[in-house]
Amino acid sequence: MIEEGRALFLQIAESVEDAIVDGSLTEESQAPSTNELASFYRINPATAAKGIAMLVDKGVLYKRRGIGMFVAPGARATLLAERRSAFADRYVQPLLAEARKLGLGPEELAQLVRERASAPVAASASEGRA
Amino acid sequence: MMTTPTETVIEVAGLTKRYRDTVAVDDVSFAIEKDRIYGLLGRNGAGKTTVMSILTAQNFATSGDVRVFGQHPYENAKVLRRMCFVRESQRYPDDALPSHAFATARLFFPRWNQELADRLVADFQLPMRKRIKKLSRGQLSAVGVIIGIASRAEITFFDEPYLGLDAVARQIFYDRLLEDYTEAPRTVILSSHLIDEVANLIERVLVIDRGRILMNEETDAVRDRAANIVGETAAVEAFVRGREVIHRESLGHVSSVTVLGALTDDDRREVAASGLDIAPVSLQQLIVRTTQHANGEHPSTQEGALR
Amino acid sequence: MNRTLNVIRMQLVNRQTFVWMPLIILGGSFALSMLVYAMIPVDAPKYGGAAQAPLWYLLAVGIQALTMTFPFSQAMSVTRREFYLGTLLTSGLAAVLLAAIYMIGGLVEQATTGWGLNGYYFYLPWVWQAGAFGAGFFYAVMAMLLFIVGFWAATIYKRFGGTVLTIVLVSLGFLLVGLLWLAIRADMWDEIWTWVATAGVVGTTAWSLVLAAVLAGIAFLTLRRTVP
Repeated sequence: MIEEGRALFLQIAESVEDAIVDGSLTEESQAPSTNELASFYRINPATAAKGIAMLVDKGVLYKRRGIGMFVAPGARATLLAERRSAFADRYVQPLLAEARKLGLGPEELAQLVRERASAPVAASASEGRA
Repeated sequence: MMTTPTETVIEVAGLTKRYRDTVAVDDVSFAIEKDRIYGLLGRNGAGKTTVMSILTAQNFATSGDVRVFGQHPYENAKVLRRMCFVRESQRYPDDALPSHAFATARLFFPRWNQELADRLVADFQLPMRKRIKKLSRGQLSAVGVIIGIASRAEITFFDEPYLGLDAVARQIFYDRLLEDYTEAPRTVILSSHLIDEVANLIERVLVIDRGRILMNEETDAVRDRAANIVGETAAVEAFVRGREVIHRESLGHVSSVTVLGALTDDDRREVAASGLDIAPVSLQQLIVRTTQHANGEHPSTQEGALR
Repeated sequence: MNRTLNVIRMQLVNRQTFVWMPLIILGGSFALSMLVYAMIPVDAPKYGGAAQAPLWYLLAVGIQALTMTFPFSQAMSVTRREFYLGTLLTSGLAAVLLAAIYMIGGLVEQATTGWGLNGYYFYLPWVWQAGAFGAGFFYAVMAMLLFIVGFWAATIYKRFGGTVLTIVLVSLGFLLVGLLWLAIRADMWDEIWTWVATAGVVGTTAWSLVLAAVLAGIAFLTLRRTVP
């Protein structure tokens, strides 16, 4: 779960953001505490705190005094927008590079995407993500 | 960004320890901040134990200044009782049982927590009625670890505490240390050469090699400092030209080169475009390779296996 | 002060060293002496030197008090001063206890005319010339002196190594021989014996106490820079 070569506090922040984006952590609900995160991932609580602090600065979380950190309203929308713009860099670019290796141009690639999008989920033997 | 006020508990300036023909510690300077977990990382014989011994006045500096809580630690009971240093091969009184060792620790460490000690004894399955000198290496380490954690000393040193402990016991140690650190924060200095195991616990890395400090930074700042560029040798070499390379490996036409410096988005596009891959560098790899590079060492390329 | 007292408890973890061995040696040497006395068919009072054995053992105790407990005391964040004073107090307690046993033993021996065998272990005329308390004083100081010598020797070994210790011991030997030679040359033996006789057991013990105090000071200075 924890990746090498990337700052830990960023990964913690990201895991909370992931939960917000996929809907498992709804707006105005309480986010996991620093200690909970530290304990779960077996990391230094100060690192977890740094990740949470970053999300507070970003406006994704806010603090309710004496209770804890809560997901800010509009957080999901903000994150989705941010991720969509990063999507092209993180997923489309490597996809294009791999496709090029296999001799697939953008048109063939678009065709594949359309095919897979309409095919029943159970039928396709999906490859791992790039 | 939320910033906690920092208070320095240990200050070391120009610390040098010279023996007849070797320099064990060479002009070392650093500051330790309160309630953080530090990793004192380095190879065997790098000077980790010597530094910790001098900080706790068990050993003496040849030159330089050491201050703990603003005072000199030598023969300073007020300062020493706030520290705990159980060394890697600690000697105990001949007839002592683990229960004696803990009972004695209880007398001398003002913040000793007996409940915690009892729980740790159960966790490590330590035989309390067996004489310490008859314990296995792992059980002996467990005694030291239990004293270290249960002392709750404001500055606690762990000197390669896991020697002889199997992987399960080591994980128990890391877990209990983190738990108790969360419960009762204190300054912890943990020396280790199993860097990847402790990477997620330590907030700051202090790398020492041949008596000198090579690195003194936030762990997270170091984590993404290097990357492995993997792929066809010519393409890799083309990409890394002009960059600081700290490690090279190759197997046939494929190479893996470790470069220093965080990769920008442009860099990533260039890598992808060249048909290369970026593989992450673990903290251990980074520190080992940086150390080797600083010493001008070249790891044998005969192994061939890409790591 | 509290931590210093706790050092006593730390030392007494080694019950074997501080309690059992001295008692075993005391008991053993006593029993042996009595057996030997019983076998000798002489009726005059019989004296022996077996009572020295437990005292000489305190030399070993002094050594072990350093080698076994000093490293541990450092792990317990105890200062060298606290460790030293606490250890000295522990040996003082042991010495006083030993002296008390000897005093009682001597009184019993006098009352029973040498256990009915006319054989004496605790009671030696020269030592008892000033009475029971004089004897107690003597034994306590001798015990302490031997302990300190053992402790100091072990400290030198720990700090400087075996070679230096050997040099120190050999040098002391030379010093002693040198003094003897001086005494012979200056033909002072008569004066020396007269002095000892006048000083008696109390006077000699008092000077031994001074010697013990001086050695104790030197031992502490040696300990101050010793690494565990």
